[in-house]
Amino acid sequence: MRIEAGFAQASSVITARMCASSPAIVVENLQKYFPPAYSGWRAFAQPVAKATECALAGISFQVEAGEAVAIVGHNGAGKTTLLRTLATLIFPTRGRALLGGFDVAHEAAGARRQLGYHTGGDEGFYARLTGRQNLTFFAAMNNLTGREAHERIAAVTEWMGIPGEIDRQVRTLSTGMTHRLGLARALLHGPAVLLLDEPTRSLDPLAAADFRRLLKDELVRRRGTTLLFASHTLSEVEAVADRVLVLDHGKSAAYDSPTRIRVSTGARTFEEAIARLTRSSAAMESIG
Amino acid sequence: MSSTGTLRKIIAFFLRDFAIARGYRGALVLETIDALFGVATFFYLSRFVESPELERLLPAGSNYFAFALVGFAFFDYLSVALSAFDSSIEEARQNRTLEALLVTQTPLRVILLGSAAYPFVALALRTCVYLGWGALFFGFVPSHANWLGALLILAASILAFLGLGILSASYQILFKRGNPAKWVVLGISGLVGGMMYPVAVLPAPLRLLAHLIPVTYALEGMRAALLGGAGWIELWRSLLALLMFAAVLIPLSFLVFGWALRRTKITGTLTHI
Repeated sequence: MRIEAGFAQASSVITARMCASSPAIVVENLQKYFPPAYSGWRAFAQPVAKATECALAGISFQVEAGEAVAIVGHNGAGKTTLLRTLATLIFPTRGRALLGGFDVAHEAAGARRQLGYHTGGDEGFYARLTGRQNLTFFAAMNNLTGREAHERIAAVTEWMGIPGEIDRQVRTLSTGMTHRLGLARALLHGPAVLLLDEPTRSLDPLAAADFRRLLKDELVRRRGTTLLFASHTLSEVEAVADRVLVLDHGKSAAYDSPTRIRVSTGARTFEEAIARLTRSSAAMESIG
Repeated sequence: MSSTGTLRKIIAFFLRDFAIARGYRGALVLETIDALFGVATFFYLSRFVESPELERLLPAGSNYFAFALVGFAFFDYLSVALSAFDSSIEEARQNRTLEALLVTQTPLRVILLGSAAYPFVALALRTCVYLGWGALFFGFVPSHANWLGALLILAASILAFLGLGILSASYQILFKRGNPAKWVVLGISGLVGGMMYPVAVLPAPLRLLAHLIPVTYALEGMRAALLGGAGWIELWRSLLALLMFAAVLIPLSFLVFGWALRRTKITGTLTHI
């Protein structure tokens, strides 16, 4: 009951945000250029170096509240740059991105209240502390303390299926458990928008399938969380995403449902469609 | 963010670091013993170097052992201030928690301040251990100390050093490692700040340089308060100088830090190792 109450509270916050008819994510002509990486003495010029290398070349799209959207593309297509920009970790060069109505560059604090961010290779925990101590600390960083934090931690760990592991030191947890702990951290404050970068990268096939069910059925369908995730696993994309943003060399090559993308390209499979859109016959790193 | 919220977060950082330190209890015991060796070294060194001529240059009523012990113990505040902030960034980068921290609802300046809370509290305890060993075994008795004055000098010193620490962290987030500014400040401060010998023994140009850095005033004030039992009239000069350093360095350091943070978000190198 307490767990449900904790999530009901989080969900009501999400619902309140989602009641507004505005999309959860708005990206308009987003461009990101990086300076070349210098070394040696020239590295001292890095902070003021001219940004010449294009990572995003004017992306525009919207994600509706409660929608699951996947980003696919080859390595270097701009998936992680896009997610990191939305997560307020880097500034866009031109254009703008709104998350829950907040500009990620100029209203970063507001945007961070709306988002949870997790990467598949995320092992960023204090290894000597227990899972609970880690979550308690990160809860405090998200303005959750005392009983509220305690209840929220109980709720998300129950939900992630790790209540029995949470009092072990993180260094003793398996990769899969650490991964779930990372997702629990991203969900602690009941974010309206969840940004995931290759969320099943370090999971075995069964754990990955479990994780997909969790994302689709619990997070998106039941809780109404907006999901934007990058993935190389096309079966995962087809299973979870309502729409797919296909990136190719920093540009948007398509933005539609998996079925429509396949039909519009005249391809027999989704994998073939993505290969055609990204102008390469090379298969994605993994096709699940 | 409210000041209560900021304080709560700083406490959360302190509890985090305390919990991690508790996992290394053996190291804490060894550090305490190590401090005894350090104090003993100063004691026997002082017996070797003490002379009537040297005593003339020391604060009234003190000896070289007390002079060096206070200098060594309180110089650490500069070292910790200079390293606490950039170490916190470096550690967070290394253990890959920086990104997770940066997407929380806590600004980086609070992350920095919070990360410095435990090192300063631990340093205060270490100072007590140093002085305690000195008192227990080597006759260090600050019987005339102006403790309140010493605490105020310490607080003003920490404020003055914070600015240098945040400047050092700015370098760290821009250039990642090999912070030369830190070593320059520590090197100059160690040479001319009066840690191991009175500033009066230095040649005139170095004496001038000594008066341009905060650690000189910090050590001068601390020794006057602890060893000479100086009153407020004798301490005001050190206090005022330290507060002036703080008034200039803290806003300047936050300006530089803000610029550095913005540049790393533009270049995308904030979390790079």
